[in-house]
Amino acid sequence: MAEKKAKRTKSGRTVGYEKRQNRLGYAFMAPWIIGFMLFTLFPFVATIALSFCNVSTNITGYDITFAGWSNYYTAFFRNTEFVPALGSFLGMVIPYTFVILVVSFVMAYLLNKIKVGKGLMRTIYFLPVIIMSGPVMSQILDRADETVQAAQGLYNGYQGVFILDMIRSYSPKIAFFMEGIFDQLTMILWFTGIPIVLFVSGLQRINASLYEAAKIDMANEWQILWKITIPMIKPTALVAVIFTIAQLGTYDTSAIYSLIKTATNNTNGGFGFAATYSWVYCILVLIVIGAACLLFKERKPKRRDIW
Amino acid sequence: MKEKKPKMESPKVKKKHDFKWWRNLIAKAAVYFVLICVGFVYLEPIFEMIAKTFMSEADIIDPSVTWVPKGLSLNNLKVAGTVLKVVPTLRNTILWSGGMALAQTLVSAMTGYALSRYEFKFKRFWFVMIVLAFIIPTPVTMIPRLMMFVGVQDATAVQLIGTALPQVSMAVLGQGIYSAVLILIFYTAFNMIPRVLDEAAQIDGASSMKIFWFIVVKMSATTILVVFLFSFVWNWNETYITGTLLRGNIELLPSKLNMFNSEFSSLVSAQGGAFRLNKAYKMAATLISISPLLLLYTFVQKWFIQGIENTGITGE
Repeated sequence: MAEKKAKRTKSGRTVGYEKRQNRLGYAFMAPWIIGFMLFTLFPFVATIALSFCNVSTNITGYDITFAGWSNYYTAFFRNTEFVPALGSFLGMVIPYTFVILVVSFVMAYLLNKIKVGKGLMRTIYFLPVIIMSGPVMSQILDRADETVQAAQGLYNGYQGVFILDMIRSYSPKIAFFMEGIFDQLTMILWFTGIPIVLFVSGLQRINASLYEAAKIDMANEWQILWKITIPMIKPTALVAVIFTIAQLGTYDTSAIYSLIKTATNNTNGGFGFAATYSWVYCILVLIVIGAACLLFKERKPKRRDIW
Repeated sequence: MKEKKPKMESPKVKKKHDFKWWRNLIAKAAVYFVLICVGFVYLEPIFEMIAKTFMSEADIIDPSVTWVPKGLSLNNLKVAGTVLKVVPTLRNTILWSGGMALAQTLVSAMTGYALSRYEFKFKRFWFVMIVLAFIIPTPVTMIPRLMMFVGVQDATAVQLIGTALPQVSMAVLGQGIYSAVLILIFYTAFNMIPRVLDEAAQIDGASSMKIFWFIVVKMSATTILVVFLFSFVWNWNETYITGTLLRGNIELLPSKLNMFNSEFSSLVSAQGGAFRLNKAYKMAATLISISPLLLLYTFVQKWFIQGIENTGITGE
């Protein structure tokens, strides 16, 4: 539309039009850009700088001295908690994201199929979006832990489950992994709020005539799911993955968060460490998100999008 | 699977139809079964919270009582209410989240409008920056932000840390919690409003501010509702930034809930009482802290779901 308009006014006023577009666009963007510079970009760069410094508090303000790589050295080699915390974050985020993605897609797909009780079901399924929060989550977590412990006390976890026994005899590691997922399934389900929302609205945007055409060509539901729904939903899946990882990354009961918090509260040189921790953590999160983007990248080169 | 074979014979067509009907019914039942089972996972903690909240102490110990308490007791609610100082805290939290949500909604609407309607230079760059601002974890920017506010505070002698000012200024300038998501929701929603309307208004001499307000904003009521609700809920549930910048000076429900155990014990020792902390108190406190959200959700869920379906928050 905008191009059309530019063409119409081409006879002499094109420059003015573009200028106006520019000016007005920046006028509306201004609050965000100022805020971004002030509260995101500058702090982001400052964190990188601080991670190479020793910061201590004195009466007049902050005492910042350059310290080279010593913060990093301490973080990785002297602090015994940091590397395991990173490891546990990775060990959480990868299986969690995978399970959250699959479960939320399946749930959204099923939610999209039903007609009776649609409103009620959606009300229930969008509920995690509303009450998902740190304190409430830890409450739920406490309970989940208790039930797991109680269950293990009763019949030693999943000893009796036939399929898991079969897997265990093949490879104990996979069985252990699956047990972990089952243990935390309740917890994982609470993270599916926004991904389900995304998938539901994504599924609704798929053109119904595609399904009709496939049905005329005698495709069954299974084929339609794999050949139409999943390829069409892929961009949404990428957004859901990015959101999930970001959400898990800011999920403030993880081990790294408590490390950063204690470092931040330590007024004697703690800020430098906190900067180092959070910067390394940030790189890790960015790497995970980058990997997810690569996995979900469209093969077709001709696709116009904003990412 | 056998119904494929007699495809050619016309008399059997009807039978195949019958079979399909049955299969559909079974499939539907299976779908509902799965949905209800998983849905129960979300509802169960809430049901349990409600049940435990209204149990008397005898009921909690009694193993024969799991869901329905024998008698209605408001004691847990009362204890949790006094520990949380529920009246001022609740008012604070509602005002806080509402104010932040309002600021966030306004600024993300403006940003979304700029991105959807104007072709300015480096637009793609700003898009990438918006996504990046969302992706980088909060602690990365937290420390310099804190230092910045402390610096400004020392330089101007205006109390900043421990007041609402830092977070309000961040929200007003579009750096509140998950702002990028809100911007992208507005962007896709505004893209769906036909541009012909803007042009018509422009011909009639409306300024761009007027177009923004009277056309774009007024036409996207459900989107605004969705964004406001998201923002409200996120601000309500946020504890990390609030804990660092506000330091509990304004008492908000979730941070109060975080400290429930210590608050409870200090209160009890101050009163010289001897009742020990039981789970039901904490359950009641949690229920208090989420009940406003649940209430809000039950009222607006119809528009909320509609809004989610209408606005493509698929981020494309």
